[in-house]
Amino acid sequence: MVLVLAIGDLHIPHRAPDLPAKFKSMLVPGKIQHIICTGNLCIKEVHDYLKSLCPSLHITRGEYDEDSRYPETKTITIGQFKLGLCHGHQVVPWGDLDSLAMLQRQLDVDILVSGHTHQFKAYKHEAGVVINPGSATGAYSSITYDVNPSFVLMDIDGLRVVVYVYELIDGEVKVDKIDFKKTSTATV
Amino acid sequence: MVKKKKQVPDWLNSPIWSSSSPTLTSPQYKSRSPSPPRYDDRIATNNPSKSSSVTSSDSSVTFIRPEPSLQTEIVRDNDSSSASVVEDVSRQSQLLQELSKKIINLGELRQLASLGIPDAAGIRSVTWKLLLGYLPVDKRNWSSELSKKRSQYKHFKEDLLMHPSEITRKLEDSASLKNGDQISIGKGLLARSKIPHGEHPLSLGKTSIWNQYFQDSEIITQIDRDVIRTHPDIQFFSGDSAFAKANQDALRNILIIFAKLNPGIRYVQGMNEILAPLFYVFKNDPNEDYAVNAEADTFFCFVELLSDFRDYFCQQLDNSIVGIRSTISRLSQLLKQHDEELWRHLEITTKVNPQFYAFRWITLLLTQEFNFTDILHIWDMLLSNPVGPRETLLRVCCAMLILVRKRLLAGDFTANLKLLQSYPPTNISHLLYVANKLNSHSTR
Repeated sequence: MVLVLAIGDLHIPHRAPDLPAKFKSMLVPGKIQHIICTGNLCIKEVHDYLKSLCPSLHITRGEYDEDSRYPETKTITIGQFKLGLCHGHQVVPWGDLDSLAMLQRQLDVDILVSGHTHQFKAYKHEAGVVINPGSATGAYSSITYDVNPSFVLMDIDGLRVVVYVYELIDGEVKVDKIDFKKTSTATV
Repeated sequence: MVKKKKQVPDWLNSPIWSSSSPTLTSPQYKSRSPSPPRYDDRIATNNPSKSSSVTSSDSSVTFIRPEPSLQTEIVRDNDSSSASVVEDVSRQSQLLQELSKKIINLGELRQLASLGIPDAAGIRSVTWKLLLGYLPVDKRNWSSELSKKRSQYKHFKEDLLMHPSEITRKLEDSASLKNGDQISIGKGLLARSKIPHGEHPLSLGKTSIWNQYFQDSEIITQIDRDVIRTHPDIQFFSGDSAFAKANQDALRNILIIFAKLNPGIRYVQGMNEILAPLFYVFKNDPNEDYAVNAEADTFFCFVELLSDFRDYFCQQLDNSIVGIRSTISRLSQLLKQHDEELWRHLEITTKVNPQFYAFRWITLLLTQEFNFTDILHIWDMLLSNPVGPRETLLRVCCAMLILVRKRLLAGDFTANLKLLQSYPPTNISHLLYVANKLNSHSTR
């Protein structure tokens, strides 16, 4: 039972001052085993904050990140799953599911986590699953102003993943979940 | 002016007892080497003729031998070693006989057990289970009781040791078929579904299984740490072998289930030490069936044993009448009653507060003071004595103090504290004998 937090596109301090208070109260250290971050934090303080939640932090570079040392893409293996991470501004058209599927095949991962569109999405295709955690601060994106803060928590348990989607809608935290399984050797 | 030692019988003060420092190697008593020559030849003659399984019972018999000028309550004549071998064998067979009856007489069993239980043939395992009330006295009910209890334990394990992920999965699998639909979809947006009862991993709700899981995980870390540290010198408990790991896992499970079932006291450091001898004895039972189910049996016996002592683990009860403080002062009273000079010297002259040493003795049932085999013998007496384990424990502690009185009387605060906090190895059967004597003198 591994808890993985997928979060990104915070745009602190340029577009948002901080995470919503309700999200912050839920994100306490000690519960999460890994954090994968799509990028656009943008400053070191946010990096340190995330690091305090969990020492195992994986980040890829977003176009506004001030730390240029983050990689463009990253692959991580957690339990039985291979996760791929990429900010998403590199994949054109932005948010296009087929292009993201191409990237997923390139990285050869079961789950691709990418952001940039600031909209939550969970999409399944033959090569795997694409998850977009959205923007955790609700910052405006290049595409739209109307953004609900959201992030994703994945519970990886053997061959099964339960994806919990946390969204802040009208000031209330709404949680949904998505279940999927991986067949033993092939991707879902 | 030297005060006359009125209350301590002379035989107790004889140099025989205090000067001997037998080197006890576990588990045999063969290496005893008390100083007075009269014992040497007895030991020498006794040892070769002993089989290892009866040495323990032998020791409790052969050492009850004061100087000839003293009391004659010590009945057995042990000039010939063969007589004592016969004694032990006879006691073992008496025990076996008692245990083989259809309906066991608990009083009789207690009587026999309080003299010491031989290590052989799983006798101790069965006796302890009977004494703790886990097995009923009517043998015909054994198998039904055992299977009932064991399945109960199995349910506990299933209910309490599951992760929240597993719990939610079980709930869903029984509730819906959505999973089946999803697998067949080749492409498309994944359907979102509602979460049951607001259960999600970051939930801060008090009733949330996730929240409880994270709160329990602190206790579980504590339990893990303590289990690894239990008896590091004994192969059974520690080391890298799969056997040791399996035993550690069993201990861990028992403690976790106990902590979850008893939110009042949860887990306190030290419970692992009380659990260890029980599990050891039950797991090493030559009876296959018992050995395999040792974990379940130990759990219930542990609960039973701890029910007498649980008040010591509850901090709020420390100052109450059942708490540890009042028990320690009771020990103090007992010492004063039996050996006023020593009591005065310890508490008043050298100001050794009994809390400094007796706390560990009492709360951990002396498991930290002696080596493992000795602990088993002391526990034989603790469990079998009809006055109950709490009272017996106090008497054993009092006997421990009286046995080293010479050194205590000669020592100052530091020396005494050092002595009592690392109690020197001693002859256990003698210790238990003295504790038993305190029984009959308690009216003085």
